[in-house]
Amino acid sequence: MTDTTAVRSVPPQRVTSVAHVDAWRFVGRYGALIVLAVLIVTVALLEPTTFPTQRNAINILNQSALAALIAMGLTFPLVAGEFDLSIGYTGSFCGVVAAWLMVHSGASIPIAILAALAIGAVVGMINGLIVTKLGVNALVATLGVGTMVIGVNFSVSEGLPVTVQGDTAPAFVNLTLGEFLGLPYPVYVMLAVAAVLWLLLNRTVVGQSIQAVGGNAIAAQLSGIRVDRIRIFVFAIAGVCAALAGVLLASRTGSATTNGADGYLLGAFSAAFFGSAVMRDGQFHIIGTLVGVITVAVGFNAIALIGLSTYWQYLFQGGLLILGVGVGTLARKRST
Amino acid sequence: METSATVLESDRSRRGSNSAEPIVEMRGISKAFGGAPALEDVSIAIKPGQILALCGANGAGKSTLVRILAGVETADRGSIRVAGEEVSISSPAVATELGLSFIHQELNLVPKFTALQNMALQYPGSRRAGIFLDRRATRRRATEVMERLGGHVPLGEQVDRLSVADRWLVSLGRSLMRDARMIAMDEPTASFSDDEAGRLFEIIEDLRSSGVGILYISHRLDEVLAVSHEVAVLRDGKLVANLHTENLQRGELTQEIVGREFEEGFRPPTKSKSDQPAVLTLRGLTSESGVRGVDLDIRGGEILGVAGLVGAGRTELARLIFGLDSPTAGTMELQGREYRPKSPYDAIRRGVALLPEERRSQALLLTDSVARNIRLATLKKDRVAPFGLVSPRRARAAAAEMVRRLSIRTASLDQPVAALSGGNQQKVVASRCILTEPTVLILDEPTVGVDVGARMELHTIIRELADAGSAVVMISSDFDEFAFCERVALMREGQVVEVLDGVHATKERLTTLCYATPDEEHPHD
Repeated sequence: MTDTTAVRSVPPQRVTSVAHVDAWRFVGRYGALIVLAVLIVTVALLEPTTFPTQRNAINILNQSALAALIAMGLTFPLVAGEFDLSIGYTGSFCGVVAAWLMVHSGASIPIAILAALAIGAVVGMINGLIVTKLGVNALVATLGVGTMVIGVNFSVSEGLPVTVQGDTAPAFVNLTLGEFLGLPYPVYVMLAVAAVLWLLLNRTVVGQSIQAVGGNAIAAQLSGIRVDRIRIFVFAIAGVCAALAGVLLASRTGSATTNGADGYLLGAFSAAFFGSAVMRDGQFHIIGTLVGVITVAVGFNAIALIGLSTYWQYLFQGGLLILGVGVGTLARKRST
Repeated sequence: METSATVLESDRSRRGSNSAEPIVEMRGISKAFGGAPALEDVSIAIKPGQILALCGANGAGKSTLVRILAGVETADRGSIRVAGEEVSISSPAVATELGLSFIHQELNLVPKFTALQNMALQYPGSRRAGIFLDRRATRRRATEVMERLGGHVPLGEQVDRLSVADRWLVSLGRSLMRDARMIAMDEPTASFSDDEAGRLFEIIEDLRSSGVGILYISHRLDEVLAVSHEVAVLRDGKLVANLHTENLQRGELTQEIVGREFEEGFRPPTKSKSDQPAVLTLRGLTSESGVRGVDLDIRGGEILGVAGLVGAGRTELARLIFGLDSPTAGTMELQGREYRPKSPYDAIRRGVALLPEERRSQALLLTDSVARNIRLATLKKDRVAPFGLVSPRRARAAAAEMVRRLSIRTASLDQPVAALSGGNQQKVVASRCILTEPTVLILDEPTVGVDVGARMELHTIIRELADAGSAVVMISSDFDEFAFCERVALMREGQVVEVLDGVHATKERLTTLCYATPDEEHPHD
């Protein structure tokens, strides 16, 4: 590895400090993973009958799936150095749109889903256009757009849950309740989306450009990267992922509520930031975000199994975020 | 009050200012950046009631010297005394504490604050009981200061609505809120009209006569001769002259700034490229950013140097050619076809590449690997069939090839580029440009902050590119660097005033041209 090469070139009399630096570097890179491992081992010892079972593991993955979709989508704007506060509202709205189309215009499930995804993309592009063409700060732009999305959502749903009825209802619900080879469909969706997004970010010209824009937007522009397009694209990706999560959320109960996916926003941010401390030096990446979501899900699952009150969930999630990012940041400072 | 005490003392010593104890004395100051010396054993003294001018060509070390005094940089060697006491100026706050004020070219004002609010910043008298702003005391003091400065700048006006000259006065006013012992002014009249400059000189004279020491940094030699008592001339980081302004001729001063040393390692161009057709033709190119009617033919296989002082419009010209700004008038033609790039993306697709002026802020992804930095402009070349995905192996191979070809010294391809030396970082950026296979390559200050060895290597690389047929445009403030250019275009105030053959483009001649006023342009020809 690079780091070892660099470290070896240091004169031998500094061996002790090199070992010291190496230890910090290890903590910086793998600290977040160690937290997850310690968490799993501890809970497995505390609850040996219920926690370390195949059924519970599948349950945790299934619980992670929707949050992971939104969080992985959010990772794109974050990699490009932007923010997106509209994803939760976009998710809720797109769930409502899909259900509404099935109820009111008799759309088939694939058509309804495609329409919802398209609307997610459009909302994202509007975010991107406001950020790039008007030059509005991303926090403000996405907060404004997100708030307007809530308004449009209420005008469509009139504030009431949109429940899918008739023949399409069982098939729609089956999207999330169905299983294949013992794994629920959402787990497959999560893994497939993770694979696609990983390839997109790490193995395509667009993905490399996104990382370059996040690293130094001026350098990227002067290297011929069309920075505005890249920025619009990352918001569109976040919008599409939010839409997919929103649709699947509606399918869980067969009914889309006006604020169903709103709560995913903060969780997605904590997962992505926690993930930035996983195996990387503070850079956002897909696998890290996925690990972040799963770590939170393991924690929540443990809190439920141990029988602690719900408020522990918040204490855990907040504490985890600070621990993961804080330790990573500290370790990076010490190792350089 | 403290002020009046200072005034009295200085009134006494004014006439005999030579014998007075200097307010600020810098002795034997040396400073190197990455092995390249910027200042060598420089000593200056600023006495009360005296105006010391600091002159020198671009890169002579003026700004480094001022930055050391301002506490922005620390000297490697040497000492600073303020009012006879040895001090260590470790930060700008310490400099302020010592009564040293600096008015930089960029004025550091808060645009949305009023003149008064700007002047109140860092004014200790504006605090009551440590935290509450004492507005009345601040306003009283600010009014006093402004009256001294001519009294016409409205204190309640937002700074971004004031003229440039008035903004400058606000900045000066801010430094007078405290009792300043010495004020350093960097190119104060750069954007002033003659009237405004005249008013400024009156103010300077008033300050001087009240005992303040003034360090006056300017390219405008006529002004320097008119206002200052002494001139310190820096050349290549050394203090070459300390002259009394009385009876000093403009020609003598220019001579000192330019120097007359024999140029070692002068490499005349291999052969004339004047028979080559122009690859890029500029006609009447004009922009809002300050390029004014530039006509230029850039030929394949030649290195065209672009000389000029900072602010002469060289970088602005590069930005036009690279599609970062749009011209308001004029045309460009690239290989016989109309060329009107709307973005760097367009420019690179048409075969124009730019190595930007600011390496760290404009060129590098500092925390990313050497490999990624090298491939940044040519990501598409890393795609492989069948899905058009980027192949990391191919990217690394291409990067490794450039690392070998340009002998970039790095621990590995995955090393963060921030860990490399300045010269090697610049080679990384050069690699990126070379990989785009440019027809026209623009280099903006390619060897700033690069040590001597790497600099020669970079010159060799540039020469090879030109020999391979590229047209190379090299902007530089280091006029020695033009020794290997076929031709050198000299820019002044947004215009190309002269294009010289490489053999005639000596540092001496170029610097003289930079300081020439339009009517003395062709005195000997």
